[in-house]
Amino acid sequence: MTTLEIISEGRGDFLKVDPDGYREWVRDHKDRAMVPKLMSEKEAIEKLVADGDYLVYECNYLQRGPSALIREVIRQQKKDLWIGAKFTWVAAALLVGAGCASKLDVGFFLFGPVVEQAIREGRVKAYEYSNVVMTNRIMAGAMGLPFIPLRSFGGTDGFEHSGAKLIADPYTGEPITIVPALNPDVALIHVHQSDVYGNARIFGTGISHVESAMASKKVIISTEEIIDTEEIKRDPGRTTIPYYVVDAVVHLPFGAYPGEMQGRYASDMGHVIEVIGATMRGFIPQYLDKWVYGAASHTEMMDKLVGYQRIREITSRATIKEGYGA
Amino acid sequence: MSEKATYFNEREHQICLVARMVEDARTYWVAGGGSPMAAILLAKKLYAPNAVYVTEDGVVNPEPMLPLDPIMTMVSARSSYRALQWGTMNSIGFQAQIGLMDYGILNTLQVDPYGNINSTALGDYEGEHRRFGGPGGADSIAASCWKTLLMTDQQKRKFVPRVDFISSPGFLDGSPKAREQAGLPRGTGPWRVVTPWALFDYEDRQLRLIGVSPFVTVDQVLSEMSFKPRTAAQVETLETPTEDELALLRSELDQRGQITDVGKPVVRQDDGTYAFVEQQKENGDLPSSW
Repeated sequence: MTTLEIISEGRGDFLKVDPDGYREWVRDHKDRAMVPKLMSEKEAIEKLVADGDYLVYECNYLQRGPSALIREVIRQQKKDLWIGAKFTWVAAALLVGAGCASKLDVGFFLFGPVVEQAIREGRVKAYEYSNVVMTNRIMAGAMGLPFIPLRSFGGTDGFEHSGAKLIADPYTGEPITIVPALNPDVALIHVHQSDVYGNARIFGTGISHVESAMASKKVIISTEEIIDTEEIKRDPGRTTIPYYVVDAVVHLPFGAYPGEMQGRYASDMGHVIEVIGATMRGFIPQYLDKWVYGAASHTEMMDKLVGYQRIREITSRATIKEGYGA
Repeated sequence: MSEKATYFNEREHQICLVARMVEDARTYWVAGGGSPMAAILLAKKLYAPNAVYVTEDGVVNPEPMLPLDPIMTMVSARSSYRALQWGTMNSIGFQAQIGLMDYGILNTLQVDPYGNINSTALGDYEGEHRRFGGPGGADSIAASCWKTLLMTDQQKRKFVPRVDFISSPGFLDGSPKAREQAGLPRGTGPWRVVTPWALFDYEDRQLRLIGVSPFVTVDQVLSEMSFKPRTAAQVETLETPTEDELALLRSELDQRGQITDVGKPVVRQDDGTYAFVEQQKENGDLPSSW
């Protein structure tokens, strides 16, 4: 066997790549039977998120993300999480500010004094990628592969601080960048509709929801609406995520709040500005006290802290319905 | 083209410059939100109705319902309204990787003579530095679109001899095959840099000044750069915004002034020359129309 030539490689730590281990996990843990998976967000996060897990979330706290599930992770004070911080405004910073995260694979996220201090004091370590490099890594994980070649990322300084390698392509002889596949421990995904088994529908654009669901050992879906399996069967082309990759289904109307859920409700602009301001000015603890620790559950937060007036306002501003399954 | 505007600000001017460079029936991967998005939308309204743009959330050629809510420039109903396709980040990344995207339009913190882009850290990454958000989608735009257009401000701290951190690739060290040797696709790379004051292209993979705005001089531009760029034999004077461009920008594309509320105001004087408004006030000779 000849050895593949590695021209250069990054020095960054990366989650251990183990495609056969992942297959065995899927063999042993992903239930093939159609069993109801409905549970509360408290139960789902308690059961399926462990300290030290690698966590990805689809989209982010402000854009059709699993915001309620992220708040519950913080409420339960999970520790030492490794976060896939791609395409994200405040979610990664909130997790760092809450003391839940110790490693970040960066694509893009909003920094601020709290994160800067955590990195400076060595409580958090950042590894450098980009948004698409991260979704390619998750894609490779979803394909059951150990790595994926890509035509970007080479030549950057991010490459040096990542798990990427530049190799001589054995087919063309040209240099090609490869990045390690990512099989996260947990994926949090917020969807428009799901049945109780986890056959889920997302309408509209997204980042890497299918890939994240396929690539992750434990998949928690939160959904705006629970629909009947008969409805899934009437229009199977709309199933985004099949039940057998899903481990928990949590019914959380307004689960993307304060973010937008396309076709259902707009973002709460006041809240968006509040949380961005908190991130940029170092007031994450105050934000968490008010919005996360200030309520025992998502439902309680929506009832007591958000309230009917604001819910009516964000709902009425969602005027575009085309394409969102209405 | 309509009448030249008599009063505009630097950011509006920059957006209009980029809008006029957009080619019809070409594809653009545009950084979500801000000046790049304003420029492509303005171009589509006025000059290049069949130009196509995509954003990293998988949206192909939307007709966004403006104005967008704060931050909601991607994965939102308004920003993705009436698109041709709703895909994902991977679908757009792969479309660019097979060569479908003609141009990329980006913003940056820092750029160097070879068009390398920094959006990660200012200062010494291994030591004292100020951290920023990371490349986001810019790395893929700069790597895999055929030509990359960069929008930034004309400031010494933005134009540096070597960026502190290459977040997104330009011509790297400037050697002829540097990009290919790093595994990047053949025939791609930086194409233009547009600031409110100046226009640059690349000659032998090095930044070259080819145009200046009529309210500044070549020397003023050079004084706002930490290195001396190549300069074209003939430096053109850049066109200022028209009334039509500004009307669209202000009434439709950026009603709330979220994009264009930064930048010094510029005024067209009675003799047809341009000046910053502050200078006017200092000199105490506002144009007669005021």
